[in-house]
Amino acid sequence: MSIDLVLNGLLQGLILSIIAYGIMIPFRFLDFADLTTEGSYPLGGAICATCMTIGLHPVPAILLSILCSGIMGICTSLIHLKFRVNTMLAGIVLSTMAYSVNLRIMGKPNIALFDCAGLFGQNILINILVLCVILVMLVLPLALFLRTDRGLRFRAVGLNPSFAEKQGIDIKQNTILGLFLAGGLAGLAGSLMVQIQSYMDVGMGIGIIIHGLAGLMIGEAIVGNHTMNRQLLAPLLGALVYQQIQGIALSFGLAPSDLKFFTGSIVLIVIAMQNGGKHMKI
Amino acid sequence: MLQLNNITKSFSGVFEPVLKGIDFSLEPKDFCMVIGANGSGKSTLLKIISGEHKPDSGKIKRRGLISQVVQDVNRGTIPAMTLLENVALSQMRNKKPKFSFYSRYKKEVMKKIEALNIGLEKYIDQPLGALSGGQRQTIATLMAINSGGQILLLDEHTSALDPKMQVTLMEYTVKSVLEQQLTTMMITHNMEDAIRYGNRLIMLHKGRIVVDIRGEEKAKLNAKTLLSLFHKYEDQSLLSGGENVH
Repeated sequence: MSIDLVLNGLLQGLILSIIAYGIMIPFRFLDFADLTTEGSYPLGGAICATCMTIGLHPVPAILLSILCSGIMGICTSLIHLKFRVNTMLAGIVLSTMAYSVNLRIMGKPNIALFDCAGLFGQNILINILVLCVILVMLVLPLALFLRTDRGLRFRAVGLNPSFAEKQGIDIKQNTILGLFLAGGLAGLAGSLMVQIQSYMDVGMGIGIIIHGLAGLMIGEAIVGNHTMNRQLLAPLLGALVYQQIQGIALSFGLAPSDLKFFTGSIVLIVIAMQNGGKHMKI
Repeated sequence: MLQLNNITKSFSGVFEPVLKGIDFSLEPKDFCMVIGANGSGKSTLLKIISGEHKPDSGKIKRRGLISQVVQDVNRGTIPAMTLLENVALSQMRNKKPKFSFYSRYKKEVMKKIEALNIGLEKYIDQPLGALSGGQRQTIATLMAINSGGQILLLDEHTSALDPKMQVTLMEYTVKSVLEQQLTTMMITHNMEDAIRYGNRLIMLHKGRIVVDIRGEEKAKLNAKTLLSLFHKYEDQSLLSGGENVH
């Protein structure tokens, strides 16, 4: 395994960790199994790529992607809250719809960004550094928020909703906030990914939720999630480890087309290991 | 403080109404013990007062927030959160949440946990789920008392505990209720507690209040009188074909 492969795995792992954070928020803090990532991640990519082809600076393009993907997250929460649709179903329906929306936005199935200057250059080390800075800018405020009164009440929503309600906590408001954050993070990851690969394809992100879940769960299997710090470390660590496992598997001759089977197996194995030992849900 | 007029309540699938015209009121700082056989409507009465159930008919007036502790400790706490986080949550109940760190509550919460006198202060940063059932229920009671309610409803909150823990928790409850001048209703099956504590006692039987003792009469109440009252109604119902369990 070459150093390039390791570095590239690191780069991909950092982006995946953003998705894993986005998955962690509804799954772990709101007890809301949210699959919107499957649509909000490519939506972020589509918006960012389209904006950049019309000459918009990459930063506002990213911000717009975050906003739109966040709004998509809010739509999922509202469909669940207003129409009592199962959370997973709401997410999958919207993700399916997002595919058409993405095609409309892009106007064609794929966009090459080789002529557009993005946040990332040729030097992979600098690219990794840029991603690290972005991650600190995300995780630090999240960690601080979760330690405030508001953050504590936010966490209570998923852990004991009926108790939370008796404490005067607004379940709907917090769910909407959480799904906005989750969607926004997925959109950010999508917009960063298209800039790194200088390419957007409408099929980008099929199965991304499983990759993100794999990252989150591997991280939790390694460091656990019984304290706030460990919970916040898990997505980053897990995504990096997962990406390296994937790199090793590929270098040992796993066909790229077998990757999704491989990832799914990892998720199932981690769940089986945890459920065998102690009480734990996905 | 609390006034109920002609409250009735039935549940679908249950033949007889669970509550049949309850008239009842509490003055501020009243401490009312509630006794009665299973199925007599005690828990339903408390749930009507707390707002968890809506009455079929009748009027209810309450002044102030309601806090409660029920038998199931998991309902009144968050086991995955630490002691500090749990008590801090109760402290910020119905206040406008702030963007300040909740660690600022630590000193105050520490004092409150120390006052319990069961040595839990060293677990302040441990998940509540790691404590024993009795310890958790004590924290749940602390949280209910701490959460700024003026009316406290206790539904057999000590009954799942061992006898020693029952006494400790009961003493803590009574002390706090008096200190904070709460208006309290407590369901119990423990006749000794029902006699020893409170300035009022009601007994429910088949959805009606059949005994209402207060003031001096309550203070003079002894086990023999109470038991004979209890048997007077319950034996009747045995003869007439059982109680309306729901």
